[in-house]
Amino acid sequence: MRRSVLPLAGAVWFLGCPAPLPVPTDGGIDGGLDVGAACSPRPAFTENVASCTALGTDYQPRVAMSAMDTWPACISDSNVFTPINANISTVARITAFEEVARLLWTDDVSPSAQAFVDARVQYALDQGLDSRVQRREDVHYPAAPMPCSTAGVPEQYPDRCAGPTKILPVLNDAFAKGSLGDSPRVNAARVEASLLWFLYLSALSEVMSCTQRPQDCDSCWAYYAGATPREMPLGLARRVRELGPATHDRAYDATLAVRCWRNLDNETGVAMDTARRDLAREQLDRALLRGVALIVRQKVTEVPCSTGSVQSARLAFLNTLAPWLDRAARERNPALADQLATNLQTTTAASLDVAGTLSALDTLFACP
Amino acid sequence: MFNGLHERKSAAPRMTPRRMFARSATVVAVLALARVAVADDGGFSTTVLADEGDDGRATSSVTKAELERRLPRSTPDALRFEPGVFIQQTAHGQASAYLRGLTGQQTVLVFDDVRLNTSTWRQGPNQYAFTLDSWAVSSLEVVRGGASTRLGSDALGGAIIAHARQAPASDGGVWLLPAAFVRGTSADQEAGARVELEGVAGPIAFIGGVGARQVGLLESSGPLVAPADVPRFADDGRTQLGTGFKEVTADGRVTWRPTTSDEVTLAAQVYRQFDSPRTDQCPPAFARADECLRYLEQFRTLSWLSWKRAHEGLLAKTRVAVSWQRQHELREGVRPASFVRSTGRDVVDTFGLNVGLVTRGFEPFAGAHLRVEAGLDSWLDVVDSVAFIEFTDLGVVRAQPRGQYVSGSSSWLGGVFIDSALELPLPQGAVLVRGGARLGWASLVSPGEAAPSTLGGESVRAAWAPFAARLGVEWKPTSLVSLFVNGDRSFRAPNLDDLTSRQQTGPGFQFENAALRPESALGVEVGAALRTTWLSLEAWGFQTWLFDAVVRAPRDVAQCPPASPQCAASWQRFQLINADGASQLRGVEASSRVRLPLGFTARAAVSWAWGQGSDGVPLSRVPPANGHVELAWRHAVGFTGAAVLRWAARQDRLAIADLSDPRIPLGGTPGYAVVDLRASLRLPPFVLSLVFENLADAPWRAHGSSVNGAARGLHFLLGVQPGR
Repeated sequence: MRRSVLPLAGAVWFLGCPAPLPVPTDGGIDGGLDVGAACSPRPAFTENVASCTALGTDYQPRVAMSAMDTWPACISDSNVFTPINANISTVARITAFEEVARLLWTDDVSPSAQAFVDARVQYALDQGLDSRVQRREDVHYPAAPMPCSTAGVPEQYPDRCAGPTKILPVLNDAFAKGSLGDSPRVNAARVEASLLWFLYLSALSEVMSCTQRPQDCDSCWAYYAGATPREMPLGLARRVRELGPATHDRAYDATLAVRCWRNLDNETGVAMDTARRDLAREQLDRALLRGVALIVRQKVTEVPCSTGSVQSARLAFLNTLAPWLDRAARERNPALADQLATNLQTTTAASLDVAGTLSALDTLFACP
Repeated sequence: MFNGLHERKSAAPRMTPRRMFARSATVVAVLALARVAVADDGGFSTTVLADEGDDGRATSSVTKAELERRLPRSTPDALRFEPGVFIQQTAHGQASAYLRGLTGQQTVLVFDDVRLNTSTWRQGPNQYAFTLDSWAVSSLEVVRGGASTRLGSDALGGAIIAHARQAPASDGGVWLLPAAFVRGTSADQEAGARVELEGVAGPIAFIGGVGARQVGLLESSGPLVAPADVPRFADDGRTQLGTGFKEVTADGRVTWRPTTSDEVTLAAQVYRQFDSPRTDQCPPAFARADECLRYLEQFRTLSWLSWKRAHEGLLAKTRVAVSWQRQHELREGVRPASFVRSTGRDVVDTFGLNVGLVTRGFEPFAGAHLRVEAGLDSWLDVVDSVAFIEFTDLGVVRAQPRGQYVSGSSSWLGGVFIDSALELPLPQGAVLVRGGARLGWASLVSPGEAAPSTLGGESVRAAWAPFAARLGVEWKPTSLVSLFVNGDRSFRAPNLDDLTSRQQTGPGFQFENAALRPESALGVEVGAALRTTWLSLEAWGFQTWLFDAVVRAPRDVAQCPPASPQCAASWQRFQLINADGASQLRGVEASSRVRLPLGFTARAAVSWAWGQGSDGVPLSRVPPANGHVELAWRHAVGFTGAAVLRWAARQDRLAIADLSDPRIPLGGTPGYAVVDLRASLRLPPFVLSLVFENLADAPWRAHGSSVNGAARGLHFLLGVQPGR
């Protein structure tokens, strides 16, 4: 018995030793020269939507405080977003997005490997961007029978489960390569494109979930504008406003429309008026797509005048977004969608038909 | 500990003719196997209601024999049938006992002379009672209601006192006895074994053992009527993800009795739990199925050296114990789809000193009988806490600005107490007056964060001198009846978890409040007990007022502390605060035992508690009304069989924090009724115990738990335990 007990007792103590803690390590060594220059001056774009008119079903808080549209009076008529719950957790994710932007692509810097690690830490914060990318659904596609967080569902419903199946792999790959010093600007652009598309999908997704959870309408606003006033937006809205103030205003109007719907539709409980919800969502979708298209448009115009890794980054941005923008483009005009897809997926500046691409974008997403 | 002044043994059942007949009629088959048909009632002693109230308090106990028959999955699980106790499980490998509506840091857990509560025990249920190896326990004692006079800080709701197995009595000889056990369950595929050794060599005696078990995914009977967001089920709709664990344990105790009045004990207990997922976070509600927070390591190492001496004269006994305890936990949260691993490790070393003395009964004046007990205890905690984030695809690891706690924090608790029992004869019966008081101290120091702000992270220095007291009267109008009235003031000093921790809890992110004050409980209880040879009845009613109760208060994003962005990113944020006014808990507990003819015994217990904050909102996770009914049959040949119905009513009185807690189904936790059958046979040297649990395969969940209870299944224990 002693022979059997002693080894067992020894094993207990051996097994009982705590595992060693992780040892902090850095990212990879920065790669070779990441040479390139951005356009100087940067191509300017002046938005002109004079030919655009709002749909008769659009909510228009900036026009006589919504008195001229078909929407009943509501909380958004003051042209100010009034949160349902002042505590909007999405704001923290937009703050993280801005920090990632600062670290990786603002001012066309060539981010270091450490910057990628720092940015990924921001991205991976508990309850942060990553946690939502993993479960984000594209509400343009039919819902899966189970949430995309369910094992096996993303693989069966890749279009609906766009977060885990489309966005997440790109982000993982770009962060990893960037952290190893591989093509920093290119991988930063891939992160940028992926997160912008995530913000676009998220704003729409929150409209749908707001049907059950009223405070998700706040998140819709936050995913677009960082829960900020119209004139000081963050996140996707900031990028849209820089290029197309009118488009931004229309998108912001749409977030107010979402809030208006919920104000009119059992604000503290489950919403019933899905028709009005869908009007608001479609208004938002239209404006957001136009906004994303403007960002794409700007990148296209910067391809010819940029050089080296900056030019490669512009192309990487376009390559990343191309397949995701295709659904909306094809819905509008399949022929132009083909043309757009071909151009956006080109890997060399020389093969990019800038004029054709801009024409396609301007036609497909002409009005917000 | 509470029965230190008196030790009573259960009386062996009397051998009546009817009992004799029953024994003869049923024993035939067993006799064929029985080498020795001995009535081993000593090994089958049961919860002794006659002992309850010995201290004039609402207490109950679980014996080793009951542990053997009930086959609990853990030490707290062994308390499931005790009145006033409700077992909650945040994870399959965790369990927390509610005593009169309070749990975790608002109750005290004691192992022999060592206080197990540390300064990092968090608000609400925790896992630490699970780290007390039931194999190393000879009995468990539950004290319901405030108990700070004897046990110091935290004993607001009561105390769980585990008594370690004692080394055998030294008989001058030299002998060694091994024992071995195997056990298993079907619902969670548990497979475990333990080997033990006890022996004597002159004045030195030893008992100890090592054990291990592996527990798989827990099968439930399916989702509840009102499904909750956790746990996640496997494709079969019954198996609960985020369950299972591994466990290795060891304990040893060497007792040296150099004289007939001295006893020196050196003891150690080692508990090692591995890979225990936190069920409500594995995966979290709404997260991907492969996301999981698990305790890679949940360790407790406990060692103590004690010296007890029996004296002549007025001073009867003295006791000195020094102890060291290390509570170690290593958490890992993984998001495989993003190659993210978050690691946190917290280590608490506790250095304890416990000194006590007991007098003999003496007559302070004619006819009166007085006994006095006094003591001093001191518990110094030192905390080390770190956290990391790792990207597994790169092997890149970043240290986080701080861990769940601030490394270098320390806590020092202690106090001195005196307790007494005065018996006064009356013309009819007797009156016992019990009373005592404690003057305590609590001092906490945290060095603060590298980048503190006005919102948090600053260094903390806090000290208090709380006091506790109790006074009780027991009137025995006859030898069969006792009536009790007790009053108690107990306290809980805020600990390092309250003052410095940040963590994702069930209902949301919780952050520190360095300005917390001690909470105190003023309790009144009345009780009555009737004890005859065939009937025992006991009933208690209690009312507790919690002053400065530490509760979770919702917080705005703007109030989140620095260096914790996950606070603002969480759906809900909470901070611990002292509630204004008095929160209240009240309830009743009743238990009974009836000895029936033919060796049958019937038992029943029922408990009900009601809690409400000073704001009129229910207190969080107060258990629903619950109880059990048991019919047992025992035969002197060594067989015991029992059928048990355990039940709980629906709990829909929810606190604000409960509403956002994914562990609690929308609208509250449904009630349940579950039937178990038990059979146990002890034919020395063999022991066989079987429990058929949840015969009707009914879905059930203890209120506040993340896991549903086990599906219909079988437990077994088979042991070889030679006797001398």
